[in-house]
Amino acid sequence: MRERSFAPSRIFIYLAVALIAAAWLAPLAVVVLNSLRTNEEIAQGSMIGWPQHLAWSNYAAAWSGFCVAETCAGIRPYMLNSALVTIPATIFSTLLGAIAGYAVSLWRFRGDNWIYGIVTLGLFLPQQMRLLPWTIVLRDIGLINTLAGLVLIHTIQGLSFTTLFCRNYYVAIPHELIRAARIDGAGFFRIFWRIILPLSGPILIVTVIWQFTHIWNEFLYGVTFTTGQQQPVTAALIALSAAVADIPQHGVQSAAVIIAALPTLLIYLLGGKYFVRGLTAGAVK
Amino acid sequence: MPITITRRRLLAGSVATLALPAFARAQGAVKPRLTAISQWSAGSDGAAITALGKKFEEKGGVWQHSPVPGFTTEMMNKLRAQIMAGDPPACSQLKGPEIAAWSKIAPTVDLDAVVAAAGYEKVVAPDLAKLHKPGGKWIALPLQIYSTNMLFLSKRAMDKAKADKIPVTWADFNDLAEKMKAGGVPYPIANGGTRPDDGQKFEAALAGISPLAYRAAIMNLEKKALEGAEIKAAFAQVRKIADWMDPNVGAQHFSTNLKRFVDGDMGMMIMGGWAQGVLRNAGFKFEDFTIAPGPCDNGKPVFLLNADAFIFWQRKEADLQAGQTLMAQLVMDPAIQTMYSQITGSIPVRTDVDLSGEGWSDGQRTTAKALKDAIAGNQAVLSMAHNMAQENGMTAAMIDVITEYVKNKTIKPEQAATRLAEAVEGAR
Repeated sequence: MRERSFAPSRIFIYLAVALIAAAWLAPLAVVVLNSLRTNEEIAQGSMIGWPQHLAWSNYAAAWSGFCVAETCAGIRPYMLNSALVTIPATIFSTLLGAIAGYAVSLWRFRGDNWIYGIVTLGLFLPQQMRLLPWTIVLRDIGLINTLAGLVLIHTIQGLSFTTLFCRNYYVAIPHELIRAARIDGAGFFRIFWRIILPLSGPILIVTVIWQFTHIWNEFLYGVTFTTGQQQPVTAALIALSAAVADIPQHGVQSAAVIIAALPTLLIYLLGGKYFVRGLTAGAVK
Repeated sequence: MPITITRRRLLAGSVATLALPAFARAQGAVKPRLTAISQWSAGSDGAAITALGKKFEEKGGVWQHSPVPGFTTEMMNKLRAQIMAGDPPACSQLKGPEIAAWSKIAPTVDLDAVVAAAGYEKVVAPDLAKLHKPGGKWIALPLQIYSTNMLFLSKRAMDKAKADKIPVTWADFNDLAEKMKAGGVPYPIANGGTRPDDGQKFEAALAGISPLAYRAAIMNLEKKALEGAEIKAAFAQVRKIADWMDPNVGAQHFSTNLKRFVDGDMGMMIMGGWAQGVLRNAGFKFEDFTIAPGPCDNGKPVFLLNADAFIFWQRKEADLQAGQTLMAQLVMDPAIQTMYSQITGSIPVRTDVDLSGEGWSDGQRTTAKALKDAIAGNQAVLSMAHNMAQENGMTAAMIDVITEYVKNKTIKPEQAATRLAEAVEGAR
């Protein structure tokens, strides 16, 4: 045992992995270090360096102090906005995706493959192409500059992914299970709630992680369809960086970036192992 | 038939009800209101527009500003979305030829009367005025000016070179760079690695070699000028500059290297006037550097204009219209332009503003004088690198060629000139 762990090939693998990890973590390390340095310190020195004294004030400024034009409330209100968009949109799109995936995989009907194909086509449309159609839709239903509008967009656009994920997972569920339930008199939704959903744990975790990360990090729709106090945190973060006649606020920016990334980071740390497990669950069967 | 009448009545009734508040406002004192979008959110830009908003409120207006930062792209997306939704802002930030392009998308406000009342046209650089009245009528107003070809000289690098003369021509400039190199300055030219940074070096070179050729080739896109000897000479000068730069800078913002510049490890910087604000806010002192107009071979200042502006979109609401008039008056007001430029470090658009008083830096005074002289000598031209000379697509095509040339030193100046002409042809 001891021999094996010290075999040269082992050492080489660990070395390679450590190197790759260091390369990946280096930018994060720079951001963390800069979040604890003052702007002057960064400007008078270099972008990369140890903090001379820990400037925790960057975090305070990022959280509730810095100004986006006339409003000086930090990123706190925008974090709340992001949560108000991300949580419902993640739940709705995951649930609808599960129902849709279940319908096209287990509840075969005429044209089901076509519908599935059309829904997943949405994956291939670039975001920019969808801006104008969404503008018209939001205008006509009066949801421009509202968080509800963003929830609608993310719910509908998320369907392509969530349907794809769930469908591929459900395909592996034996049809006999459904047939038996139907003989017992269960309908579409009863089978869904009682049989399919309890079996869906791994894939639901995958879709939730996926959707949450994407919606939280989304920027283009957030910045285009909302203004001022309605903006999600990604849009507010950019506000912090866009100064022409000023030294970039590297310290506060770094702190704000770290705060803004915490929710997705937590989701990954808590659900990361299920993510891979869920994705491969179908494949192993 | 009866249904139609009812519908019509209903419609007429509801229209009247909806119009009533607006009508009432029109009758009494309308409180001017302004919806504005800009990309100014942080730092001194944010502070300047906030101060402008305060002035607007002091005059009895309602100020509704939405910053859409992230530079041009996001703001353009937002503007497009708002126009499509039939709800354009009363005014929005827009600059250069994009003003003409966007004015075809939605109706704009005719500002001729307000501009005439303010006597504004006489005090604005002619090329700049042209940009803001694309159809012959003023539809947008410039707010502040930066020059993109100011020359910043590091005091310590000058000491190392034992030089004290500010270079006026490119020959002087090259001379000084050699002296710096010999005196132990590793990189006589300070540089960042962004596209506008490379673009600025080219435009400064060409405009300094021949403002006339710059106007013909870059602003008017004349084929003959694009293939002319001046373009090749400009590329040759850019190569010299590139040889004096630190090649290991990557795609960094110019501010990353300010310390090296101040320490005298980098000697001269060709940058917009905004760099003095950045230097000041980074904690450096004005004694650390000198500012002068960029080199020009005919010995007279050449000024590459970069101006931020507001375009005004047509609105039917009486309060928004009143707000637009008030905003236009404020933007053209010498006192407001003074306030704005003193916060950001730019210079006022009005050439009749006196900069001798307190609150102005020597750099700003130098810049303002350079602009005045350049206008007098017909050498105030529009910056290509900062989207003032051409629409965004054309600018991108040109900068692609320039930036590749700066980084790839196997490309000959003649080849670069041919490529530039081809790129312009392709983007037309």
